[in-house]
Amino acid sequence: MSEVRGTRSGAVRRAAPWLAFVAAAAVLPLLSGDPTITYLATTAGIYVLVGTGLNLMFGYTGQVSLGQGALVAVGAYTTGILMADHDWTFWAAAPVAVAVAVGAGTLMALPAFRLSSWYIALVTLGAAMAARSLLVEFEGLTGGWSGLTGIPRPALGPWELGERDILWLVLAVNVMLLVMVRTIVDSRLGRGMMAVRDAPEMAQSVGVAPARMKLFAFACGGGTAGLGGALLAVHHGLVTPDDFTLDFSILFLLVVIIGGAARLAGPIIGTLLFFALPELLTGLAEWRGLIYGAALLVLMVYAPQGIAGAWERLRARRQDSGPPSETFGTDIPVEAGPPRGKPLGVELIGVRKSFGGVRALQEIDLTIEPGTVHAIVGPNGSGKTTLLNVISRLLRQDGGRVILDAEDVSRAPAERLARRGVARVFQTPRLLGASSLRDNVLLGAYPRERAGGPATVLRLPWARREQAELAQEADRLLAGHGLAGRAEEQAASLPHGEQRLLEVARASMARPRLLLMDEPAAGLTPRELESLGRLIRAIRDSGTTVVLVEHHIELVASVADVVTVLDRGRLVTSGPPQEALGDARVVEVYLGAPA
Amino acid sequence: MGSSGDARMGCDRPMIADILVAGLVFGSLYGLVAVGFNVLHRPTNVVNFAQGELIMIGAMLMAATPIGGLPWGVAAACVMAIVAVVALVEERVAVTPVLRRSSHAVGWVITTLAFSLLLAEAAGRLWTDQPSTVVPPWPLSMRVQEVLGVRFSSYQVAVVIVAVAVVALLGVLDRSRLGTALRAVAADRDGARLRGVDPTALTRRSFLLGGALAGLTGVLAAPLLLASVTMGLGLLIKGFAALAVGGIGDNRGVLVAGWMLGVIEAAGAVFASPGSQSVVLFAAMLLILLIRPNGLRGLAVQRHV
Repeated sequence: MSEVRGTRSGAVRRAAPWLAFVAAAAVLPLLSGDPTITYLATTAGIYVLVGTGLNLMFGYTGQVSLGQGALVAVGAYTTGILMADHDWTFWAAAPVAVAVAVGAGTLMALPAFRLSSWYIALVTLGAAMAARSLLVEFEGLTGGWSGLTGIPRPALGPWELGERDILWLVLAVNVMLLVMVRTIVDSRLGRGMMAVRDAPEMAQSVGVAPARMKLFAFACGGGTAGLGGALLAVHHGLVTPDDFTLDFSILFLLVVIIGGAARLAGPIIGTLLFFALPELLTGLAEWRGLIYGAALLVLMVYAPQGIAGAWERLRARRQDSGPPSETFGTDIPVEAGPPRGKPLGVELIGVRKSFGGVRALQEIDLTIEPGTVHAIVGPNGSGKTTLLNVISRLLRQDGGRVILDAEDVSRAPAERLARRGVARVFQTPRLLGASSLRDNVLLGAYPRERAGGPATVLRLPWARREQAELAQEADRLLAGHGLAGRAEEQAASLPHGEQRLLEVARASMARPRLLLMDEPAAGLTPRELESLGRLIRAIRDSGTTVVLVEHHIELVASVADVVTVLDRGRLVTSGPPQEALGDARVVEVYLGAPA
Repeated sequence: MGSSGDARMGCDRPMIADILVAGLVFGSLYGLVAVGFNVLHRPTNVVNFAQGELIMIGAMLMAATPIGGLPWGVAAACVMAIVAVVALVEERVAVTPVLRRSSHAVGWVITTLAFSLLLAEAAGRLWTDQPSTVVPPWPLSMRVQEVLGVRFSSYQVAVVIVAVAVVALLGVLDRSRLGTALRAVAADRDGARLRGVDPTALTRRSFLLGGALAGLTGVLAAPLLLASVTMGLGLLIKGFAALAVGGIGDNRGVLVAGWMLGVIEAAGAVFASPGSQSVVLFAAMLLILLIRPNGLRGLAVQRHV
């Protein structure tokens, strides 16, 4: 935790604007005698609620949902039917509404979760359309076009809640939800979500199962939409299909984008600007469609981070950025903890892989001994990276078997390997660009961190202790990689060489038993190369198997225990560096046939 | 699909024939929408959420004076040209700026959706929301004929033939030099640049072609559906469904998928209720995608690390 975040006074200072805002919203109905203001404020509060749920789906997990309005409808209708037709109390109906909406949200994501992200936009859009015709079709249950009327207000015993009380209820729910979302975002779960959004393959390589993460996000978004719908039903007292048009769904997306996706305050800013403002200035309401379209377009092109993002950037520019620190090549020993178990060996048996007509790997038989540095070299297009991808399970081989430490993993997904202790460094750094260096390193601990969803949200003491210990470990690792004191900086602002280091630090954070590195030396200076060599040897000596795909022959010669040479998808030779690199066939592969 | 009303008394042959005819005709439209997606998707990896509104504009132009008053061939050409220009505008303001920043992010979902909102809004202000009928060009007509118990009109036959012809023509284009360049850009935008292919120019050409195709789809759809400012969304979603089921990038696949979905939709209207059409269609799509996530033919592209 940073200086500001860690102390109690810092926490108060950070929370102050939020508290002031909530207080202002809460006293609004007392100050203004106008019931319309209270009514609008309650509606806006409900929109913030739904927007915050969508922020978790779209902002943090990167899933475009155009069906949020349909999920609100599910919540509203469930509440309406239970309260108006079956005389349930609000307190019993609302949880059911949430549960039904969670189910609907999960269902919506189910067919799409194996496909690319725009399918989810399509499926949710289709769901929004289908939901409306279902509402009309099941007239007996939903009242058809005229909807459900006579939904009573919530009551506590004999006391029925008034307009103001509902506003306060909505505010209280919002505060609780925001605290929950903040906790989730700062935890292992939040880092997993952002990894799915920014780099799905990297997410898998650190042990995040993208499909499960998306389902979780959709369940959360569905639940908040359902709760919003329940509140909307008792707030309006009636629900009709016309309340849930496609525009209604798009409004929420807009609210998140304009306010600032992946920013906690985003939905609040967005709601105030795009719901409250036109509602108060009646002349604007007529132009709403035009404003929606133009705003989405302009914002996405010029300010994809929204208003909250632009504000942050403005503040960051004003703050003095510290002097660039001494990078790569500091001689502090790297403080990676011991690996999580014995080093892992790999055995490939007859592995084949083709891309269309290109046979990238042809019948590869290869044994990687545990506890060694095993380098794989070969000219461009020889299948090195494909081989690494097959070992890490990001690609599925066409034929043959992959054995990891006596276990057949030929059909295992990448995230399962990460849990077994396999870590990966990518050829081009794959980072959480918008997150801090510390969060990027912490992501590496994903497979060994124990706190799951409930423990995180409930802020159980052991989970918080675990989080604090890991943060310290991450800071030590950052220091060990020459990034001391810069834990709060944004990963995207690092120069390329340091982004590489950050990747290595993230991989070390996993305390891997097998580390797969894809061309870590590319673009490094000679001095940086030297410390990279030391780093790799240190990692091996601590008891980790290292598989190194590399072009830089000097580095390979100095660190590798075994060198395997590939050419056009075939294994040329494999042996100690001197022997393998001196092989006549290898010279031929690299330099062409002797004249 | 108004012809289903009088044939409700059981599974006799004429009714099944009616379903097939309606399914093939509307399915051809859905297939054409999906082919339009493919044309734009090739060089950009963008799925154009404004495609439905482009088609709507095409149909509305066909229904409105002054273009609607011109001889059919001239009017159709004008409509295709105008929609192509609108698509080019979209490429300039909503696609290229986002792709320039990052070719991987999904910002284009939002921007093309925003463009579609703007088109719908503009159409709503330009034209009344009263649907209008458009008559097919001479010698075709919507008059129903009966041959061997199958009832259809000459215009319906023409629509199916045009859809097949478009897919065949695109197949020829695909095998040309241009097609190869397009595939190169699709595989690796920056890599193609190094090999002397200009992705921006190709993107522009694809949007012109895709826009013209959207215009043509609108022209074809106008006599079948009533031309209205709200017709875009339905076509967009049904086209999407055909695209997802047929498999993205596969023109023949999406046309067949369009026919399939058209038949399912027509059957849903007869056997369930006309109001549940879209629900039946959507459920069918989800079911097919659950079983075959990469579409019927499953020509999936594997991503590289």
